[in-house]
Amino acid sequence: MGVGGLGCPAALALARAGIGRLVLCDDDIVDITNLHRQVLFDEADVGRDKLDVARSRLLHEGAQEVDLIRSRLLPDVAREMVREVDVVLEGTDNFPSKFLAADACYLERKAIVHGAAVRFVGTALSVAAHAAPCYRCLFEDLLEQGKAPNCTEAGVVGPVVGVVGALMADLALDVLVGDGSRQGVIYSFDGKKIALRPLSVPPRADCMLCGTDSPSPISEIHLGLYLRDHMGCSSPAASVPSQQI
Amino acid sequence: MAIIVRIPTPLRTLTGGAESVDIEAKNVRDLVEALEANHSGMKERLMDDKGVRRFVNLYVGEEDIRFLDGLDTELKDGDEVSIVPAIAGGR
Repeated sequence: MGVGGLGCPAALALARAGIGRLVLCDDDIVDITNLHRQVLFDEADVGRDKLDVARSRLLHEGAQEVDLIRSRLLPDVAREMVREVDVVLEGTDNFPSKFLAADACYLERKAIVHGAAVRFVGTALSVAAHAAPCYRCLFEDLLEQGKAPNCTEAGVVGPVVGVVGALMADLALDVLVGDGSRQGVIYSFDGKKIALRPLSVPPRADCMLCGTDSPSPISEIHLGLYLRDHMGCSSPAASVPSQQI
Repeated sequence: MAIIVRIPTPLRTLTGGAESVDIEAKNVRDLVEALEANHSGMKERLMDDKGVRRFVNLYVGEEDIRFLDGLDTELKDGDEVSIVPAIAGGR
């Protein structure tokens, strides 16, 4: 989800690892401001459809099959989007999309690797299929309007997303070979200190997604879950972008 | 009790760029107050009227305080407190 700063290096690593089928989801055009970190694209691609360019590059780099979903991550299609894959790599740049991806994967019993990066720091969290802990165990839910951290104009350092994207691919490979030893751990990368720090995420019994004691567990995707916060780096769920970082 | 507080990148503007600060506190609640006293604006980034903000996680060592005693989690000399905020992306 998202063929941007995280999705590009992650997809490239998986293509070269010989993964049989990659499914790319995005709806954007290559922009010159993408080039410092979105390593599948170069200057000649500016103005072209990201998915078309990415597909061509990944096939050249060893991918066997690359399918495309030309769409944003939307509540009414999220579950269908994740249904046909073994693991989802979530590299979106806004909180509604992250929660939507987490919810869709949990309900469809799919493993997911969440990635994020801003300025000099990035994180990666691998979540087992329909298991605890999940993304909501850590970050719970969207905030009320206007209270989310504003990262729209924060910027991000290219090599940081490269590291985090590669880490996401590494965690995805774990899933594909059946190794769950690094799931449920949030890895934080500090690009200034060049340090990677793991922190275990304890499962919360009252988590609204995976908890066993939640008073109102999420049992289906509905728009209202993602509408609360549309300030800063998030967007109204009606146009939640499956966008790049 | 001298506690080492690791400051995540998004909050370093409040610490003059420092990636860690030393704070005297007996528990996490006092630590937040001390952080605010030394670095104005920090408390509002960490807390709301219900407690620790949802997009922020506080760890003492490797333990999330939600699974210890929350804000009443006691601290001892040399403990390391980490602030782990949710991040989404940058352009």
